[in-house]
Amino acid sequence: MAARVLQHCVRTLRLSSGHLALRAAVVPAAPLHRALSFYSADRRTRCVNRIPSLDVLCRQYGHLPPLTLESIEERVLYVLKLYDKINPEKLQATSHFMKDLGLDSLDQVEIIMAMEDEFGFEIPDGEAEKLMSPDDIVQYIADKKDIYE
Amino acid sequence: MASTAATRAAAGASKVVKPIFSRDLDEAKRRVRELYRAWYREIPNSVALFQLDINVRQGRDKVREMFDRNKHVNDPRVIDMLVIKGKMELQETIHVWKQKTHIMRYFSESQEPRPKDFLSKFYSGHDP
Repeated sequence: MAARVLQHCVRTLRLSSGHLALRAAVVPAAPLHRALSFYSADRRTRCVNRIPSLDVLCRQYGHLPPLTLESIEERVLYVLKLYDKINPEKLQATSHFMKDLGLDSLDQVEIIMAMEDEFGFEIPDGEAEKLMSPDDIVQYIADKKDIYE
Repeated sequence: MASTAATRAAAGASKVVKPIFSRDLDEAKRRVRELYRAWYREIPNSVALFQLDINVRQGRDKVREMFDRNKHVNDPRVIDMLVIKGKMELQETIHVWKQKTHIMRYFSESQEPRPKDFLSKFYSGHDP
Protein backbone atom coordinates (compact mmCIF):
# COMPACT_ATOMS: atom_id res chain seq x y z
CA MET A 1 0.00 0.00 0.00
CA ALA A 2 2.66 2.45 1.06
CA ALA A 3 4.80 1.40 -1.88
CA ARG A 4 1.98 2.04 -4.30
CA VAL A 5 1.34 5.44 -2.76
CA LEU A 6 4.98 6.32 -3.04
CA GLN A 7 5.01 5.25 -6.66
CA HIS A 8 2.05 7.42 -7.28
CA CYS A 9 3.76 10.35 -5.55
CA VAL A 10 6.64 9.87 -7.84
CA ARG A 11 4.47 9.67 -10.91
CA THR A 12 2.53 12.78 -10.01
CA LEU A 13 5.64 14.72 -9.19
CA ARG A 14 7.09 13.65 -12.49
CA LEU A 15 4.04 14.54 -14.47
CA SER A 16 3.66 17.84 -12.71
CA SER A 17 7.18 19.20 -12.60
CA GLY A 18 9.97 17.99 -14.83
CA HIS A 19 12.79 16.73 -12.79
CA LEU A 20 11.97 13.87 -10.69
CA ALA A 21 14.75 11.82 -9.24
CA LEU A 22 16.25 14.49 -7.00
CA ARG A 23 12.94 15.64 -5.68
CA ALA A 24 11.64 12.21 -4.94
CA ALA A 25 14.80 11.26 -3.14
CA VAL A 26 14.75 14.33 -0.98
CA VAL A 27 11.06 14.61 -0.19
CA PRO A 28 9.44 11.22 -0.03
CA ALA A 29 7.23 11.92 2.94
CA ALA A 30 6.23 15.55 2.61
CA PRO A 31 3.81 15.38 -0.28
CA LEU A 32 2.29 12.22 1.10
CA HIS A 33 -0.81 13.89 2.41
CA ARG A 34 -1.23 15.69 -0.87
CA ALA A 35 -0.70 12.47 -2.75
CA LEU A 36 -3.43 10.72 -0.90
CA SER A 37 -5.98 13.15 -2.22
CA PHE A 38 -4.47 12.82 -5.70
CA TYR A 39 -4.61 9.13 -5.38
CA SER A 40 -8.28 9.00 -4.67
CA ALA A 41 -9.19 11.61 -7.27
CA ASP A 42 -7.06 10.41 -10.12
CA ARG A 43 -7.29 6.71 -9.79
CA ARG A 44 -9.65 6.29 -12.58
CA THR A 45 -8.55 9.12 -14.79
CA ARG A 46 -4.81 8.38 -14.88
CA CYS A 47 -3.79 5.50 -16.97
CA VAL A 48 -1.51 3.08 -15.35
CA ASN A 49 1.86 3.67 -16.86
CA ARG A 50 4.21 1.97 -14.56
CA ILE A 51 7.77 2.97 -15.07
CA PRO A 52 9.74 -0.01 -13.86
CA SER A 53 12.91 1.98 -13.38
CA LEU A 54 11.15 4.14 -10.79
CA ASP A 55 10.17 1.19 -8.68
CA VAL A 56 13.64 1.21 -7.27
CA LEU A 57 13.50 4.74 -5.98
CA CYS A 58 16.28 7.10 -6.71
CA ARG A 59 19.64 5.51 -6.61
CA GLN A 60 22.33 8.03 -7.37
CA TYR A 61 25.70 7.39 -8.88
CA GLY A 62 28.81 9.43 -9.18
CA HIS A 63 30.77 9.82 -12.37
CA LEU A 64 33.44 12.04 -13.81
CA PRO A 65 32.32 15.08 -15.79
CA PRO A 66 31.86 14.21 -19.48
CA LEU A 67 34.92 14.65 -21.66
CA THR A 68 34.88 17.01 -24.60
CA LEU A 69 37.49 17.48 -27.30
CA GLU A 70 38.50 20.85 -25.85
CA SER A 71 38.91 19.48 -22.35
CA ILE A 72 41.02 16.58 -23.60
CA GLU A 73 43.25 18.91 -25.58
CA GLU A 74 43.58 21.26 -22.60
CA ARG A 75 44.62 18.44 -20.30
CA VAL A 76 47.07 16.99 -22.83
CA LEU A 77 48.76 20.36 -23.36
CA TYR A 78 48.84 21.00 -19.61
CA VAL A 79 50.61 17.71 -18.94
CA LEU A 80 53.06 18.39 -21.77
CA LYS A 81 53.86 21.83 -20.41
CA LEU A 82 54.68 20.27 -17.06
CA TYR A 83 57.24 17.96 -18.69
CA ASP A 84 60.65 19.43 -18.16
CA LYS A 85 62.22 18.38 -21.45
CA ILE A 86 59.68 20.37 -23.46
CA ASN A 87 59.97 24.11 -23.92
CA PRO A 88 56.44 25.39 -23.23
CA GLU A 89 56.74 28.33 -25.63
CA LYS A 90 57.53 26.09 -28.58
CA LEU A 91 54.72 23.66 -27.84
CA GLN A 92 51.86 23.68 -30.32
CA ALA A 93 49.03 21.25 -30.87
CA THR A 94 50.63 20.03 -34.09
CA SER A 95 54.27 19.98 -33.05
CA HIS A 96 55.96 16.65 -33.72
CA PHE A 97 57.81 15.26 -30.71
CA MET A 98 60.86 14.05 -32.53
CA LYS A 99 61.22 16.55 -35.36
CA ASP A 100 60.02 19.82 -33.79
CA LEU A 101 60.68 19.33 -30.11
CA GLY A 102 63.78 17.18 -30.44
CA LEU A 103 62.73 14.40 -28.11
CA ASP A 104 63.87 10.81 -27.95
CA SER A 105 61.81 7.67 -28.40
CA LEU A 106 62.16 6.98 -24.69
CA ASP A 107 60.94 10.53 -23.99
CA GLN A 108 57.91 9.76 -26.10
CA VAL A 109 57.32 6.63 -24.01
CA GLU A 110 57.44 8.77 -20.88
CA ILE A 111 54.95 11.21 -22.37
CA ILE A 112 52.54 8.40 -23.25
CA MET A 113 52.86 7.04 -19.72
CA ALA A 114 52.01 10.48 -18.35
CA MET A 115 48.91 10.48 -20.55
CA GLU A 116 47.96 7.03 -19.24
CA ASP A 117 48.23 8.35 -15.69
CA GLU A 118 46.24 11.45 -16.53
CA PHE A 119 43.32 9.79 -18.28
CA GLY A 120 43.33 6.56 -16.34
CA PHE A 121 43.45 3.89 -19.04
CA GLU A 122 46.20 1.77 -20.59
CA ILE A 123 47.61 2.61 -23.98
CA PRO A 124 49.24 -0.48 -25.55
CA ASP A 125 52.70 -0.03 -27.00
CA GLY A 126 51.77 -1.01 -30.55
CA GLU A 127 49.51 2.01 -30.79
CA ALA A 128 51.54 4.25 -28.52
CA GLU A 129 54.55 4.28 -30.81
CA LYS A 130 52.50 5.97 -33.54
CA LEU A 131 51.36 8.92 -31.40
CA MET A 132 53.88 11.57 -32.33
CA SER A 133 52.13 14.87 -31.66
CA PRO A 134 49.59 16.25 -29.17
CA ASP A 135 46.93 16.18 -31.91
CA ASP A 136 47.49 12.44 -32.43
CA ILE A 137 47.13 11.85 -28.71
CA VAL A 138 43.88 13.85 -28.53
CA GLN A 139 42.49 11.95 -31.53
CA TYR A 140 43.42 8.60 -30.02
CA ILE A 141 41.85 9.37 -26.66
CA ALA A 142 38.70 10.66 -28.35
CA ASP A 143 38.52 7.45 -30.38
CA LYS A 144 38.93 5.32 -27.31
CA LYS A 145 36.44 7.22 -25.23
CA ASP A 146 33.92 7.67 -28.07
CA ILE A 147 33.89 11.44 -28.09
CA TYR A 148 33.08 13.10 -31.35
CA GLU A 149 31.67 16.38 -32.46
CA MET B 1 76.37 -21.67 -32.39
CA ALA B 2 77.62 -24.05 -35.06
CA SER B 3 74.21 -24.22 -36.64
CA THR B 4 73.88 -20.44 -36.72
CA ALA B 5 77.37 -20.14 -38.17
CA ALA B 6 76.43 -22.64 -40.85
CA THR B 7 73.25 -20.79 -41.68
CA ARG B 8 75.18 -17.56 -41.79
CA ALA B 9 77.77 -19.02 -44.14
CA ALA B 10 75.16 -20.64 -46.35
CA ALA B 11 73.03 -17.54 -46.73
CA GLY B 12 75.79 -15.54 -48.36
CA ALA B 13 75.22 -11.81 -48.62
CA SER B 14 72.08 -11.59 -46.44
CA LYS B 15 72.66 -12.91 -42.97
CA VAL B 16 69.80 -15.09 -41.80
CA VAL B 17 70.26 -16.13 -38.20
CA LYS B 18 67.98 -17.75 -35.72
CA PRO B 19 66.37 -15.02 -33.68
CA ILE B 20 66.24 -15.01 -29.92
CA PHE B 21 62.85 -13.36 -29.49
CA SER B 22 62.22 -10.72 -32.10
CA ARG B 23 62.42 -11.13 -35.84
CA ASP B 24 63.29 -7.57 -36.77
CA LEU B 25 64.50 -4.32 -35.32
CA ASP B 26 61.02 -2.87 -34.76
CA GLU B 27 59.96 -5.75 -32.57
CA ALA B 28 63.20 -5.52 -30.60
CA LYS B 29 62.65 -1.80 -30.06
CA ARG B 30 59.15 -2.55 -28.87
CA ARG B 31 60.56 -4.90 -26.24
CA VAL B 32 62.97 -2.18 -25.18
CA ARG B 33 60.11 0.28 -24.76
CA GLU B 34 58.10 -2.21 -22.69
CA LEU B 35 61.12 -2.78 -20.45
CA TYR B 36 61.60 0.96 -20.07
CA ARG B 37 57.97 1.36 -19.07
CA ALA B 38 58.29 -1.37 -16.47
CA TRP B 39 61.43 0.16 -14.99
CA TYR B 40 59.92 3.65 -15.01
CA ARG B 41 56.92 2.47 -13.02
CA GLU B 42 59.06 0.41 -10.69
CA ILE B 43 61.42 3.20 -9.54
CA PRO B 44 59.13 4.90 -6.96
CA ASN B 45 58.28 1.53 -5.41
CA SER B 46 61.96 0.62 -5.16
CA VAL B 47 62.92 3.95 -3.63
CA ALA B 48 60.29 3.44 -0.95
CA LEU B 49 60.93 -0.26 -0.43
CA PHE B 50 64.70 -0.22 -0.15
CA GLN B 51 64.68 3.20 1.60
CA LEU B 52 67.13 4.58 -0.89
CA ASP B 53 68.63 8.00 -0.36
CA ILE B 54 67.88 9.19 -3.86
CA ASN B 55 64.99 11.05 -5.46
CA VAL B 56 62.62 9.32 -7.82
CA ARG B 57 63.89 11.72 -10.45
CA GLN B 58 67.50 10.70 -9.90
CA GLY B 59 66.49 7.05 -10.11
CA ARG B 60 64.67 7.60 -13.39
CA ASP B 61 67.62 9.56 -14.79
CA LYS B 62 69.87 6.67 -13.90
CA VAL B 63 67.53 4.24 -15.70
CA ARG B 64 67.61 6.51 -18.71
CA GLU B 65 71.40 6.62 -18.57
CA MET B 66 71.65 2.83 -18.50
CA PHE B 67 69.34 2.59 -21.49
CA ASP B 68 71.23 5.28 -23.37
CA ARG B 69 74.51 3.42 -22.97
CA ASN B 70 73.21 0.81 -25.42
CA LYS B 71 71.40 3.20 -27.70
CA HIS B 72 73.76 2.55 -30.62
CA VAL B 73 73.05 -1.19 -30.89
CA ASN B 74 71.38 -2.31 -34.12
CA ASP B 75 71.46 -6.09 -34.03
CA PRO B 76 68.07 -7.50 -32.88
CA ARG B 77 69.67 -10.47 -31.15
CA VAL B 78 71.99 -8.28 -29.10
CA ILE B 79 69.05 -6.05 -28.19
CA ASP B 80 67.07 -9.11 -27.13
CA MET B 81 69.89 -10.30 -24.93
CA LEU B 82 70.19 -6.88 -23.30
CA VAL B 83 66.42 -6.84 -22.75
CA ILE B 84 66.62 -10.27 -21.11
CA LYS B 85 69.35 -9.05 -18.77
CA GLY B 86 67.32 -5.92 -17.98
CA LYS B 87 64.29 -8.07 -17.19
CA MET B 88 66.36 -10.19 -14.84
CA GLU B 89 67.52 -7.07 -13.01
CA LEU B 90 63.94 -5.83 -12.85
CA GLN B 91 62.71 -9.11 -11.43
CA GLU B 92 65.38 -9.11 -8.77
CA THR B 93 64.50 -5.53 -7.85
CA ILE B 94 60.75 -6.08 -7.70
CA HIS B 95 60.94 -9.22 -5.60
CA VAL B 96 63.52 -7.70 -3.22
CA TRP B 97 66.03 -10.41 -3.92
CA LYS B 98 68.62 -7.64 -4.13
CA GLN B 99 69.55 -5.39 -1.27
CA LYS B 100 70.07 -1.67 -1.02
CA THR B 101 73.78 -1.95 -1.73
CA HIS B 102 73.21 -3.79 -5.01
CA ILE B 103 70.96 -1.03 -6.25
CA MET B 104 73.29 1.71 -5.08
CA ARG B 105 76.08 0.09 -7.07
CA TYR B 106 74.52 1.65 -10.13
CA PHE B 107 75.14 5.04 -8.56
CA SER B 108 78.65 4.64 -7.30
CA GLU B 109 81.27 6.64 -9.12
CA SER B 110 84.64 5.00 -9.37
CA GLN B 111 86.37 8.04 -7.92
CA GLU B 112 85.25 11.35 -6.47
CA PRO B 113 86.21 14.24 -8.74
CA ARG B 114 88.66 16.62 -7.06
CA PRO B 115 87.21 19.91 -5.85
CA LYS B 116 88.21 22.92 -7.91
CA ASP B 117 86.77 26.03 -6.29
CA PHE B 118 87.97 27.46 -3.00
CA LEU B 119 85.03 26.53 -0.83
CA SER B 120 84.91 22.88 -1.90
CA LYS B 121 88.64 22.58 -1.30
CA PHE B 122 88.14 24.15 2.10
CA TYR B 123 85.42 21.67 3.02
CA SER B 124 87.40 18.68 1.87
CA GLY B 125 90.53 19.80 3.69
CA HIS B 126 92.47 22.64 2.23
CA ASP B 127 94.85 21.26 -0.37
CA PRO B 128 95.83 24.16 -2.64
